[in-house]
Amino acid sequence: MTEKASVVVIGGGIVGTAIAYYLTIKGQRDVVVLEKNYLSSGSTGRCAGGIRQQWSEPSNVRLAMRSVRHFESFKKELGADIEYVQGGYLLLAFDEEEETLFRNNVEMQKKEGLEVSILSVDEVKKRFPYIVVDDVKSASFCPTDGHANPHLANFAYARAAKKNGAWIYTHTRALGIDVENGQITGVETDRGYIKTGVVVNAAGGFSRQVGLLAGVDIPTESYRHQIMVTEPLEHILDPMIISFSRNFYMRQTVSGNIMMGQGDEDEKPSFNHDPSWRFLTQMSKKMPGLFPFLEKVRVLRHWAGLYNMSPDAQPIIDKAEDVSDYYCAVGFSGHGFMLAPAVGEGLADWIIDGSPKEVDLSNLGLDRFTGEVKREKNVV
Amino acid sequence: MSRLVDHPIIEFRRGKEITFEFEGREISAFEGETIAAALHAEGIKFLRASPGRQRAQGFFCAIGKCSSCLMEVDGVPNVRTCITLVKDGMIVRRQKGKGEFGA
Amino acid sequence: MHSPDLLVIGAGPAGLSAAVEAASAGLDTVVVDEGVTAGGQLVKQTHKFFGNEGFFASVRGFEIARSLLEELVDFENVEIFQESSVIGVYEDGIPVLHLPSDTTRLFRPKRVVVATGASEKFLQFENNDLPGVYGAGAVQTLMNQFGIMPGKNVLMIGSGNIGLIVSYQLVQAGVNVKAIVEIADRIGGYEVHADKVKRLGIPVLLKHTVTRALGVESVEGAEICEVDEKFSPIPSTARELVVDTVCIAVGLNPSVELIAQAGGQIRYVAELGGYVPVRDEDMRATAEGFFVAGDVSGIEEATTAMIEGRIAGLSVVRDLKGSTDENKVSRLKKELVGFRNGPISARVREGLQKLGFDVSSGESRTGNLNNPQKYRGKLRPIIECFEAIPCNPCETSCPTGAIVVGGNINDVPVIDYDKCNGCGICMTKCPGLAIFMLQELPDEDSALIGIPYEFIPLPSKGDQVHLLGRQGEMLAEGTVQRVFRSPHKTNSVYVKTPLELADKVRSIRPVLQEDNAFVCRCEELTVSDIEAAIDEGYTDFEELRRKLRISMGPCGGRTCRLNALRILSRKTGKSIEELSFGVLRPPSIPSTLGSIARQKGAEDD
Repeated sequence: MTEKASVVVIGGGIVGTAIAYYLTIKGQRDVVVLEKNYLSSGSTGRCAGGIRQQWSEPSNVRLAMRSVRHFESFKKELGADIEYVQGGYLLLAFDEEEETLFRNNVEMQKKEGLEVSILSVDEVKKRFPYIVVDDVKSASFCPTDGHANPHLANFAYARAAKKNGAWIYTHTRALGIDVENGQITGVETDRGYIKTGVVVNAAGGFSRQVGLLAGVDIPTESYRHQIMVTEPLEHILDPMIISFSRNFYMRQTVSGNIMMGQGDEDEKPSFNHDPSWRFLTQMSKKMPGLFPFLEKVRVLRHWAGLYNMSPDAQPIIDKAEDVSDYYCAVGFSGHGFMLAPAVGEGLADWIIDGSPKEVDLSNLGLDRFTGEVKREKNVV
Repeated sequence: MSRLVDHPIIEFRRGKEITFEFEGREISAFEGETIAAALHAEGIKFLRASPGRQRAQGFFCAIGKCSSCLMEVDGVPNVRTCITLVKDGMIVRRQKGKGEFGA
Repeated sequence: MHSPDLLVIGAGPAGLSAAVEAASAGLDTVVVDEGVTAGGQLVKQTHKFFGNEGFFASVRGFEIARSLLEELVDFENVEIFQESSVIGVYEDGIPVLHLPSDTTRLFRPKRVVVATGASEKFLQFENNDLPGVYGAGAVQTLMNQFGIMPGKNVLMIGSGNIGLIVSYQLVQAGVNVKAIVEIADRIGGYEVHADKVKRLGIPVLLKHTVTRALGVESVEGAEICEVDEKFSPIPSTARELVVDTVCIAVGLNPSVELIAQAGGQIRYVAELGGYVPVRDEDMRATAEGFFVAGDVSGIEEATTAMIEGRIAGLSVVRDLKGSTDENKVSRLKKELVGFRNGPISARVREGLQKLGFDVSSGESRTGNLNNPQKYRGKLRPIIECFEAIPCNPCETSCPTGAIVVGGNINDVPVIDYDKCNGCGICMTKCPGLAIFMLQELPDEDSALIGIPYEFIPLPSKGDQVHLLGRQGEMLAEGTVQRVFRSPHKTNSVYVKTPLELADKVRSIRPVLQEDNAFVCRCEELTVSDIEAAIDEGYTDFEELRRKLRISMGPCGGRTCRLNALRILSRKTGKSIEELSFGVLRPPSIPSTLGSIARQKGAEDD
């Protein structure tokens, strides 16, 4: 293991490896990624892989649009097929409140340059005949949204970073971060000590704990979130389909499995990774009502991962106040995978050149939680 | 065809004789037999064409664990025919690829 | 909501035994089982079991299943659900899928006995996914449960007890077994089982393996090969056999998914068959409220499974009622120790030691200790049981007390020919079919040989038969002198042989008798696919799984996980113990959303 590094990234998920990748292609040498388990073992490997630009907050729309451009060129740039499909995201509205929200969102999103439109019930029925539209009022649809395989994307960033000279240490846990007079001096791991002046916290579900290693207080909390997947079927779903009021999302993977999940308001903050029967029961009762073909489809697997929630359900991408060169890219609140490319790019610029340059991270600072919190609404 | 009638140790008590359809062919079987067993008795071992490499596959474990006997039964794909009992009038098809649901 | 005192998962020998003990102590007991009928693997076993009479020795497997079940159905506090699979062990209950009705039912039992048994190992060779390549269990299901011939000509892979027993059963069903191939330099199973198939004329090819299945839509042949010291095939020795079935009997893996999901600690112990749950002598696993019994806790015999099942059942009783029949528990534990005492159980003992058990072994009597020559002219048994195996029906069935095994059930039998009256009962009782009858006839140049016979048609007096030797070699023709039908279906056929062949003839055959390698089936991954991914740098099982989707298919990794780990171990030089085992995600059986929505007896959420 190396004894010193220019930057130590803690967390080998999509965010950590994307940051490492962008650091190395911008010429940064001696970059280290520490992963306490294996690559994609945390939230990345457990997420649904959706890539969406339809958000209620303009800054999120911009960040997601920038990410989509990176996903579009991913194969060419990194030489890896990550099963990226732009089948669109269909947001179903079931009541007037949602209809109003979507109409306002679409207006704002269009201003940001996003190709997005409101579909009438008839249009939904015509384009997606497998949906029972009885209770659907309308929908918002963006054709350039989509999904990809998170593991493959995670592996691709890690391999590219490694090829460019980064060290990726899996099964290596960060135990402590030494800070002297506000300056980082090194990271203690269970496999040795690494001298460094720069640390990036990309620890996903464990961001708060990794913050405390350097005495930085990050207001995030982790919640269990569950996903189920069916047996593989021939291709049927193009878009990722999502509803906030009915509380679900669903997509079909390239290998044919239908993947779906929901939020659970009763979850308390925890590191619980165990799936529950209650989740499976609720989903099985709910989903075939809207998608009758699901009734006879078998569930193959389900699992749980952690949503690392910030108080406003938006990511925290910032540099700490009291510890210099302590960066964090955390609190993604369930949307880290889709935002990782743009965040990786911006944070790499910030570390190397002192500012995120073209990537607008201005609304995502640690200091925003002091006043009134404006919450992202488009969240399952 | 290959059903055992006499056996030195076991007495086979078979159920009622029934018929079902496989790829348009009428096949007789006995109640209490699994679909895969009834097909095997007729010499039919090729149960599905695998989705990836289009290979002929039949059952392997016969206890519903290995996924290689998935067939389309009465329009429903991915049925584990080695643990699903055959019924009179069933329509069984060799499954090609992943399951398709008439959406 | 159903909250029984005990939920038993699996109605094989272990599960049924646990249920009997719990039920007879008055516990409300639910048994769930995947099979159409209870009994697990027992229902497919047509051979007589070893062991001692307390545990059904010399009784055929399917008959043992029947008696255990009969014992159980008498209890009003027992419910048995067939065709029912546990979906998973969750923090909020244990849901069970009823396959025929496509519905689920949630249980919240006070205690659980996991008696899920084992699944078969899969073997890698080219075209191993071709229809007609079957696991030994599948062959038994077809043949012994449904009465359907698996094929006409079979190549058996593996000479452990299962390979030997299934080969014998195939011949009983009228199927030709072309050969048994064994990669090691000696037969894996009991000598008596091996002797049974050898004298049918089935060649056992040691240091051989199968390298390819041939055929387009189903098996039309198989290529076999000799192997070198490193078990690698020697290409120049390849030859083809015309067979329509390749039967794989290369061992079993304990089915630990559910105990792992329950949070029970799992350890890799090769001697016990792979990953096994950590547990104590009372069969208590490390997950709270969970017990294990039978093959899931280590691959062994039905007899040990039944003993473990009873211990688990009695331990549950102790847990819930504060006391149990401790005398019975200690007697059962003693039985287990005695059973595992012999050289046959050396590997199991090593495995148990790795789990922290203090396992004693004793000296067992072996070899040929009997001297029938002195009793020339007397009709008497010839006992060809020279290997120490845990078995004693010859002793317990002898009406005159002539045969003695003694306190160590692994000892070979010793016979006192002075006490023997020549009744021949021992010949029909011996589970290994290792006892023959001999009498030198007064004409001075011929002898009468009694042979245990379990085939059809049963010859009649006066029939001409071929006389075969221990390797199935043709020695002469002879005439049937007497035939005794046994209610246990091991019949006795006495033939006249030339005197000089008396110690050679051990089998008969009626005259005029008609004479690309996949690791993961779900995702269609071959050995080279996996090796390529490892070469690319995916050296953690979980990474490999995510990269290739291995073990993410409908089988839940049962066929591929350990094989993939073996390849990983071979490529990385790490032992399997060092490698991460990966996650065993529920559901353990793919279940439709509809079945989950249609829950019986569950509280509404």
